Amino acid sequence: MSALGTALFVGLGLLLGAYSIAVLERLTVLGLRQFSVAVIAPLAQAAALLRQENLVPRGADRLLFRSAPLAAVAAVALAALVVPLGPGLRGFDPSIGLFYFIVVLGPFVIAMMNAGWSQNAKEGLFGTFRAAAYLLSYEVPLGFAAIGPVMAAESLSTVRIVEAQASLWYGAWQPLGLVIYVVAALFMAYRRPFDIPQAGGELEGGVLAEYTGPRLLLFNLALNALFLLLSAMGVVLFFGGWHGPLLPGPVWFLIKTLALAALLLWAGRFLPRLRHDQMLSLAWKVLLPASLVNVALVGILVMVLPGGGW
Amino acid sequence: LTGRTEGRAAAWANGWLARLASYERRYLAVDGGGGARLLARLPALGTRLRPVSSPRHAEVLLACEPISRRLSPSLLELYRAMPRPRRAVVVGEPGPEHFPRADLVRLEDFLPNVERISADRSSPAEVAQRLLTLPLQFDESPSKPQLEPMTIPLPGKQEREIATELVVLSLGPVQPCTAGPLRVLLSCDGEQIVSAHIEAGYATRDVAGAMTQATGMEIAGLASALDPLAPVAGRLAYVTALEQLQHWEPEPTLGRQREAALALERVQNHLAWLVRFAEILADDRLTDDARRLEASLAEVSREFWEQSPVEWLAPQTPTVPTRYGGRPPRLERLAAEVAALRDRLARNRVLALRTAGIGVLPVDRLHAVGASGPALRASEHGREDVLGRLLTRLDEAADDIRNVEAGLKPAPMNRLRPAEQGIAQWSAPPGKTEVAISGPRGHIGLSLVSDGASLHQVAWRRPSAALLGLLPELLAGQKLADAEAIIASLDLAMAEADG
Repeated sequence: MSALGTALFVGLGLLLGAYSIAVLERLTVLGLRQFSVAVIAPLAQAAALLRQENLVPRGADRLLFRSAPLAAVAAVALAALVVPLGPGLRGFDPSIGLFYFIVVLGPFVIAMMNAGWSQNAKEGLFGTFRAAAYLLSYEVPLGFAAIGPVMAAESLSTVRIVEAQASLWYGAWQPLGLVIYVVAALFMAYRRPFDIPQAGGELEGGVLAEYTGPRLLLFNLALNALFLLLSAMGVVLFFGGWHGPLLPGPVWFLIKTLALAALLLWAGRFLPRLRHDQMLSLAWKVLLPASLVNVALVGILVMVLPGGGW
Repeated sequence: LTGRTEGRAAAWANGWLARLASYERRYLAVDGGGGARLLARLPALGTRLRPVSSPRHAEVLLACEPISRRLSPSLLELYRAMPRPRRAVVVGEPGPEHFPRADLVRLEDFLPNVERISADRSSPAEVAQRLLTLPLQFDESPSKPQLEPMTIPLPGKQEREIATELVVLSLGPVQPCTAGPLRVLLSCDGEQIVSAHIEAGYATRDVAGAMTQATGMEIAGLASALDPLAPVAGRLAYVTALEQLQHWEPEPTLGRQREAALALERVQNHLAWLVRFAEILADDRLTDDARRLEASLAEVSREFWEQSPVEWLAPQTPTVPTRYGGRPPRLERLAAEVAALRDRLARNRVLALRTAGIGVLPVDRLHAVGASGPALRASEHGREDVLGRLLTRLDEAADDIRNVEAGLKPAPMNRLRPAEQGIAQWSAPPGKTEVAISGPRGHIGLSLVSDGASLHQVAWRRPSAALLGLLPELLAGQKLADAEAIIASLDLAMAEADG
């Protein structure tokens, strides 16, 4: 596929994926009986935002304020390149694909921080500090959780990790790693119950409080696409990627990704929004030690069992 | 020709986008004092309605009256912050003409193209419908509001543990954690609240003063309006006071009916509060449960009386028309559901993580300020924190539902008809009296002095006002992220607190 074709494919995929997440999000709230509302409402919201004024607050840092949503979209678009939808169906397959994915998604939080910082408002500033405080908290457990599949597949290539799960998904024998990954992914995607940087009521929306119109639409798109990508990488790492019977590989991959995303969205509804110190405690006192235990366990299993794990 | 074609294409695309955009409405709700119950029910009624917390994300500014002149600059500022196209909608309550001594304004006086929904057409379903069909407009921004300069006292450097720069965050006056407007200025050292400064008085109507100038049934209307969320309590306080002056005592059956109406109002308030509180915690499941219970109660309670209690509560009316005819025990089921929810919440360790141990109100402090109601009873039972107040309200809601059931059950009442009603005696004989009614937020006290022709002196004891004074000490030392939950846990009705 040419570079332009890849760009178009990734862009279209992210657009449709972000829309699917928006639909799933509403379905978890409204239920299946309101399916038509869940399908139309995200389009209506997009249309409303496209018609709206694109305001820049007085005293804002215009460059950072305007560039933040673009940076967020760019980060998810670049990260999407290494997600393999099916055999041979990917942007590119570097030997360090998983490492690339985690590193390239890093600037997303920089975009969120820029968005809050540039607003010239205290609410945005507090949102920025919160987003910055969580950065390391989720990156470290997320990285350690992803090490389990890397150790088992003996490769950082996302394609190789999927191929290594042809007989048994890693999620089946690395459940601890799966749970840690899922919680860290919710952290990273600013989803319930970890959405305090952008949704704290006392901050009127936090880092996104001052965004309107097309820029807000871009940010919403980037946030949904980020969640989709993290779900997709969860499928790559723990649910065998495109592997599945009867249906073509990409179809299995999409089904698994949307199912995981729906499960996470649904589970998030049962928990009240956590406070920042509780989130940090969870990350450093629970997720990090648990992820180290997971690395040790996977290491032992890989060393002891013939053929490297299962 | 090309320009004309492009113009047509742009107009067609814009029209198409506008039609699609109108499928959903995002609104910013502003409760001037009387809209809490409407605002709690609105999102559940319209699945295409979405409340937002930032004016930048809103298409419609939905304001519930009364709106004081003091609140108007904040509303103006909010409207100016909204991106175009936009619209302002106001839901009418008794307006400035009903409160001659209050400085109330109409939204139309300072905002363009305001859509008014009158009080008699302000059912949640009708408001939801109007919001969805309302066309938005690219209007001119109104001129900048003239804001009063304001200074707040900050704690001295030696009072802070770590000497850093404080940030003052303004919560309100338009915020969802109280029923009505209240401004809380939080001095924060990072995420830690160092001190809090309260600015109330945004919903002042001088109800007591207006009562001294009104006559007959007008006074009863004003008494009902003291707390727009608890009109029965205010009206019953006045009716009971009149009956005491008239040396008339209601029969036990009428007393039970009145108690049932009062208990019903307490439950309605507790459940509407629960919706608001769950939204603040961002707990979707609790929000759904609270909305479902609140809607069930609204549906069941429509069957009780032929008129609403606010209409039939009058002095010396011997009987009350009722429609309750011993149907299947829906109220008992509702009480069981509330009790089950309470038990589930008591076992919920994640909820406890978020609400236990914060906003602790010692019982002696509550006694010192003359507090009453669920907040006091929670502390008296050793449940002094936010979680304790939540569980106590649910306990009391379940009990009150059973009280309603008991009050409605007596067989003779089922046979009563409107024709049997007595004639209300609205005249106030000379004398002095005091009454206390158990409202949703505590004891509403009314003290009357009548000279026979008019009310010479009227004074209300307002339960929210007593709790309001505790907020600064309650918030100091807490986390910023907990501020809303702590304030909301007190269930302050600002129209009642401001009087």
